[in-house]
Amino acid sequence: MRRDSASALRAAKAAPRRWSAATIALHWLSAALILGLIGLGWFMVHGDIDAATKFDLYQLHKSLGFLGLALLLLRLGARLVQASPPAPPAMPPWEHRLAGLAHAGFYGLLLAASLTGWLLVSAAVIAIPTRFFDLFVIPNLLPSLTRADASLSAAMAFWHYVIARLILGLLVLHVAAALKHHFVDRNDVLTRMLPWPTRLRAAPSNRREDRLERNKVGPPSY
Amino acid sequence: MLSSSSSLAPKFRRRASALALLMAVAALAPGHASPRSNWAIDPSRTHISFSIDAIGYPRTQGEFRRFDGRLSVDFDHPAQSRVSFRVQSQSVDVGSASFSDYLRSDAFLNASHFSEIVFSSTAVEKIDENDIRVTGDLTMLGVTRPLTVDVEVRRPDARSRARLEFTARAKIDRLEFGMNSGFPVISKDVDLVVASEAEEQ
Repeated sequence: MRRDSASALRAAKAAPRRWSAATIALHWLSAALILGLIGLGWFMVHGDIDAATKFDLYQLHKSLGFLGLALLLLRLGARLVQASPPAPPAMPPWEHRLAGLAHAGFYGLLLAASLTGWLLVSAAVIAIPTRFFDLFVIPNLLPSLTRADASLSAAMAFWHYVIARLILGLLVLHVAAALKHHFVDRNDVLTRMLPWPTRLRAAPSNRREDRLERNKVGPPSY
Repeated sequence: MLSSSSSLAPKFRRRASALALLMAVAALAPGHASPRSNWAIDPSRTHISFSIDAIGYPRTQGEFRRFDGRLSVDFDHPAQSRVSFRVQSQSVDVGSASFSDYLRSDAFLNASHFSEIVFSSTAVEKIDENDIRVTGDLTMLGVTRPLTVDVEVRRPDARSRARLEFTARAKIDRLEFGMNSGFPVISKDVDLVVASEAEEQ
């Protein structure tokens, strides 16, 4: 426990306490995009709309989906090369592990959502070219293997739907966790990801046992 | 009695034959009594629309915006009438630019290779006062197939110029023309409705 706190303190000096501006921008842009894609996906399938509007909304969903895939790859890359701000020292190991799992789950599900979507249009019986915002045509995924395969396309459509639901579930957990960090643990996990400047909280935690723990291991306060 | 009537007879016969000649001349003279008249459709009052069903998709409705149509009508001998239409495949419009582009592609109309869809009648049959049946050849994607069109004709009066209003309905089997993209998810039957007004030339 002592060593953990010590190494966390060292990490806090080495790594920035805030996420970089680019990471924050990417996070919120992705959040808006993911929510937009899920809402649009529901509406274009179930909405009471005419054929032309439906066609346009499907094309928009495909373009936004590929934008989402590009942002996802950018974020995965940034995650690999950039140091993350340290977790609050008072955060228990199980919470740390769960957070890691949830974030990995997000990356995995978002990648799966992109790939099932790409596969389902690649294998679709009605082969409508994917024009990325009307700028250029995105080729089919594995064009030789997936030319008009109705059963593959239907299976991918099913998984695309299931994955969207799983992402929504994980999103609820993600938001609940952020709110718990902010209002219960009173640490800066939420504020350091906010898109506007905030004063980061000095104290990692205000819980009584944490205060006692800090008094034991922390440097003298005078 | 008898003698007086026989003396009148030659005079009467001469008058009767003159009347018959006058009637024959009137019948042959150009104008209202002409048996054949030429008409051109008024593009601003013409809509060439189609609709097609697909499974799990709302009915797609669209129009062709550029076309030309000519009619040659013989009111006394309807079977002698002729009609022809030329439609620019590039002018397809389903209310969405990208959807229309998709229909212009080689999956459907292949508009860059086959710029026109042409119909020309081979037979016209009068069913009743307002209904006629037109049989003709439809050429699409380089393939010519017979097509039967039911036409409802109305002649609105109280117009300064002679006009004909008509609504033509036909069902096209797109598979016959080699347009098989998306079948059977997208129906093979395309419903065609031409609502038009023609003006006498």
